[in-house]
Formats: sequence, C-alpha cells, structure tokens
Amino acid sequence: MENSQKFCELFFQALRIRLVEERIIELYPSDGIQSPVHLSIGQEAVAVGACRNLKKTDLVFCTYRSHAFYLAKGGSLAEMFAELYGKVTGCARGKAGSMHLAAPEVGVMGASAVVASTIPHAVGAALAAKRLGHDQVVVGVFGDGATEEGVYHESLNFAVLHRLPVVFLCENNGLAVHSSQKSRQGYDILEHARSYGLPVYHIAEGYDFVKVADTMSGIIQHVRLTREPIFVEIRTYRYKEHVGPGEDFRCGYRKTEEWLAWKRQDPLEQYGNLVETFRPGIRKEIDEAVHFAMSSPFPSVEELLRDVV
Amino acid sequence: MLCNASVTSRVNGQAATGPRAQAGTEIISYRDALHWTMQDALQRHDSVLILGQGVDDHKGIFGSTTGLSQAFGADRVMDTPLAEEGMTGVAIGAALNGLYPIQTHIRADFSLLAMNQIINLAAKYKYMFGGRFDVPMLIRMIVGRSWGQGAQHSQSLQSLFAHIPGLQIVMPSSSQSILDTYPAVIDRYRGPVISFEHRLMYDLQFYVAPLSTRQETEPFGSRLVRPGEEVTIVATSIMVLEAMRAAEHLALVSDIQCEVIDLHCVSSPDWDLVMQSVEKTGRLVVADTSWREYGVCAEVCRVVAERNPGFLKAPVVTLGMQPAPCPTAKCLEDLFYPDLRQLVDALAVLVTGKQGHGVPLPDTQSMADVYKRFKGPF
Repeated sequence: MENSQKFCELFFQALRIRLVEERIIELYPSDGIQSPVHLSIGQEAVAVGACRNLKKTDLVFCTYRSHAFYLAKGGSLAEMFAELYGKVTGCARGKAGSMHLAAPEVGVMGASAVVASTIPHAVGAALAAKRLGHDQVVVGVFGDGATEEGVYHESLNFAVLHRLPVVFLCENNGLAVHSSQKSRQGYDILEHARSYGLPVYHIAEGYDFVKVADTMSGIIQHVRLTREPIFVEIRTYRYKEHVGPGEDFRCGYRKTEEWLAWKRQDPLEQYGNLVETFRPGIRKEIDEAVHFAMSSPFPSVEELLRDVV
Repeated sequence: MLCNASVTSRVNGQAATGPRAQAGTEIISYRDALHWTMQDALQRHDSVLILGQGVDDHKGIFGSTTGLSQAFGADRVMDTPLAEEGMTGVAIGAALNGLYPIQTHIRADFSLLAMNQIINLAAKYKYMFGGRFDVPMLIRMIVGRSWGQGAQHSQSLQSLFAHIPGLQIVMPSSSQSILDTYPAVIDRYRGPVISFEHRLMYDLQFYVAPLSTRQETEPFGSRLVRPGEEVTIVATSIMVLEAMRAAEHLALVSDIQCEVIDLHCVSSPDWDLVMQSVEKTGRLVVADTSWREYGVCAEVCRVVAERNPGFLKAPVVTLGMQPAPCPTAKCLEDLFYPDLRQLVDALAVLVTGKQGHGVPLPDTQSMADVYKRFKGPF
C-alpha cells in the first residue's frame, strides 16, 4: 500500500500541509504572523482525501480551521503565507488572516470564524449549480460542534427537500474548543443526519488518507451523477491547542494517551523515510512562499475602505 | 387614495423637468409596482430566484409575488421552510455561485433570526476576502403597522442594518421609488441590499413615469421631493408621505413652505443635499418610521452637528416611535406613532418660534385610518 502511487501522492499532500503548519509554529514567536491560527495538524488526511476527488470547478466552503482544505484544493501557498503576514499580496489582500482563506479560482469559497455559518452557503451554491445546470459538486465542511447549531439542521432539511448536489462533510475531532462531544450532544451525529433521509457514511480512520480518498471518491461520484446530497462523518484528531501554535495536553481536558494512539496510526508519523524523501522539495517551496510573504508590501491606506460595498 | 406626494421625479433635483415630467400619466399601486419589478426581474434575468415563506401562495406576500411561481416555476419562485438563517445562508451561497436571490420577510421582525448571515456573512463577504467575492442579493423586509400588529410585527429595523458597513439599506416611499430602485439594483449592483417596504403603502396609488419607458436610475442616495424655504423635513418611507401632507397643509393655511427630502437610502444618504437644504432653511425636522434613539433621527443630527451646526437657527426636532415596544390597543398605538397634527404643530412651532403660533392644525386622525384599507388579520 505504502508503495502505491496513490499512497505516495496523498502522503506528499498531507505532509506538505503538515510542514507548512510546522513552519507557522516556528515563525509564530517572531510575531510576523499577527493572526490567530487554528492548525489542522492531525486532520490533514480528511482534506487531502476529500479534495483528491474534486475538480477545480467543484466548490468547498470551509471553517476557520481551513489551512488544510485551502492547500488541498489548490490554493496558492505563497498567497496564504502573505495573507498570514497581513500583506497586500495575500489571498484576501491582508484582510482575512488565517481564519478567512479563500481561492475562488480553485473553488475555495471562503471560510468563516462563526461555527456552522458556511453550511447553508454550500447548500445555496448547490442550488445554483442545479438551477444553472452545472455539474459541480459542492462540499460543506464543518466540525462536530457545528451540528449543534440550528442552521446545520436548516441546511440539511433544505438540501434533502430540494435534492441538491452537496456533500455535508463533518470533520469530527471530538472537541469544540475544549469541550468534549459527549458533554455537548444528546444525539448521535450520524443517526440524526440519517433521519433527514439522505445517505450517511462514517469513516473512523480519519488519519488514513487512502481510506478517506477511496470512500470520498464513491461519495463524490454519486453526488455528481445523482445530483443528490450525501452526509459523511470523518473521525479525526486535533494535535494542537484550539487556537495557537502550542500543545495543551497538560491542561487536563483530554488525555495524552489518545493523542499517542492517533499518532501511532498516522502515516506521517510512521513513515519517517518517506517524510525525509519529500521534505527537501517541500521545504524549498515553503521557503519561497515565506520569502514572498515577508518581502511583499503591507496594504496601503487606500485598502482600508476598499471593497466595503 | 391617490397620492400626489410623489408625482414628480424622486431623483435629486430633476423635479419637473426632463423625462420625468411625463410622470403622472400612469397610476400604479405600491403593491403593483412591487409585483411589476418582481416579474420584470424574473423575465429579464434567468439568474433571479425569489425565495421566502409563502411567496407561492394565494396571498403572494401581500400581492407582490402572486402568480409568479405558476408563471415562472417553483424553482424560481420558491416557498421556503421556516428557517430564516438557513435560507439567508442559502441565498448567499446561491449568489456566490451565479444566481441573484430575492429573499422576502413578510415581517421585518423575522429577519432578526437571520442576523448572523446578514451581518457576519453577507455584509462582510466582499471585504473580508479582499474583494474576491460579490454577494448580489435583495432582501425585502415589510414593516407592519396598525390593526394590532403589536410588538413583533411592526418593527422598522433600518438603523440596525444601516449601522453595519457592507449593506445598502433602502426605504421606498412610493411606487416610483420602487420602480427606480429595484430594477437598477438587480441589474447593476453587486452587493447585498435590504429594502424596507411599508405595509401601509401597499394599497396606495401613485402616479409614475410610464412603465414602458425604461430609464437608467440611481437606486441609492436621497431625493428632493418638495422645495421650500422655511424648514427642511428629512423623512423616510411612509413618513415622506406624512411630511408631504404636512407641507401641503401648511402651504394652504400659512406662509410656511417646507422643503421635503426623502432620505431613501439610509445607509448612504446624500448628505450634501441635506446640508444644502439646512443651510437654506436653517431649520430641521427629522421624521423616521422607527425609534429616534441611535437611529436615523440620531444619525441625521450627528451629520448636521459634525458638518455645520451653525446652519441651524433653532434646535432640531425629531419625530419617531415612542421608546417602547409597539402596543396593540388602538388608543395606545395611536399615541405610539407620531401623527400629522403633531408633525404640523412641530413645524409651526419651529418656524414661528412660538408655542402659540396660531397656525391652524389638521384634524386629529391617525395615519392608520388615513392609509389603511385592509382590515386585519393580514
């Protein structure tokens, strides 16, 4: 398996995201990145597995923890670093920071810092795709916490009611900031979603990018052909603190053992040789992106009131 | 009732000259103007989608969408679940992917359930992503009044939304105002627009420019509705009609000539027009459909105070709703809203400088009695 081309390609994509975020951690103390960062480390396989099956014209609506989806869908690394550095060459001209990455040219349709708020956007974009006769598949990415919000339910209902080509992708890391899922939810996410009358899938091995990619391949093909919605929950694990570059296992809200258990399954932790094979090339790309960001100009005064209306 | 108040052009200064001089040749109700613009939008733009609770039913949002679902299909004029936030989000997503959604709230009060999508998302999508996205959409909100609409069917929430950068807020005060605003917004403006329509005006008939002659119009800004010398009335929505009634009464019974400005776009009014008028008259009355505190009344005062308070010969007078939720008993409701008699009295006191000004006041009759044709419930 680990020698297959698919494995290597996915490994490379996931590793690239992890090394980008590890560079952010290295750079963070220098205070050049003046933006809260919600790191995807540990969750890369979800993004690379899902995006492998999407066309450039397919759309993804994300959350504030979206570095992985932005990069996996093809967003520019240089423009991402420039955005983190608050530079005018950033993907949002320095007005978004880490939480609102977007790259419409490759279908990254924005990310919101308000939990669940982009789920209906995915549904609306799917409605437009259906009305206008596009063959797009739209993916709404959200966490387990988002399923507690009313708008999640409103969105599921509408998508099923109108049979819209949207994938509801629940990236379940079991945490809302520091609150565990079982302390917040009196329902089972999958069973509850199923009751809306759409097919539901569950992937427990969210570290296994091949399994995610294979399952998502079937799901996305099905949505593309039938133009009907599907729900998928992928279990994953957040290695870092909710926001910021650090680890917070000493804080007591979760156990180091569960992290270690995930890491033992995580190919990026297990295949050191492959990491070293890919590292130099990725490092070079990151060096260039960081250089681009650091050498780019800050936004001018005119930018303050540009694009308001 | 035929309202002469808006016979002439509503576009700054072009009053009785130019193409709009033909205005008056056709008469159309506020409701029919809305229906005409909805049908026109569906006909001319395949991307237009009307969505809202009850848009396809026999009442059709007080007659403004009646029959359109049958004519254009339920996928273009779409009844929705009771899910204001979700549906606003769906509209945003649809706008991001090529449609032009027109969302309806049969009462503006219901839009409060969609505040997250309107304020955190629609208003910010363009700026927050560095201009990479446009969210072209129109949200129609209807302001209720009279017949016991009460605290949650009557709020005029323009200042809540006008406070937020990124939104354009309009308040059509006549059929012509709708005809000038909606097609122009739908054709040319690429951001989110919220329109506050006043329920009491739906049944009113207005003179308009011929519908067959389509012209480029300016959807935003403010309109000089009536020139005058002694006092400036800055008004919104149905208060523009009250201001015109007051001005006409005073012109009949006194020498007082009121200048009336329809603020129209409360998010970006034509402040030069307001300041020029205040400079000329030296006196200012602001009449808004909502509460005065932190609202349109307060904002007009802020701008005058910042730009040139020296223009004022007397303190500003503001008229709006009383600082309470709206009551249902008619005797209380009539006290809750400003009436024509109060407006005329305020204008006469302001211009003469005397409480006992001797200017005859109109009979006390509530605005609801004057304007309302329908007998509830809605």
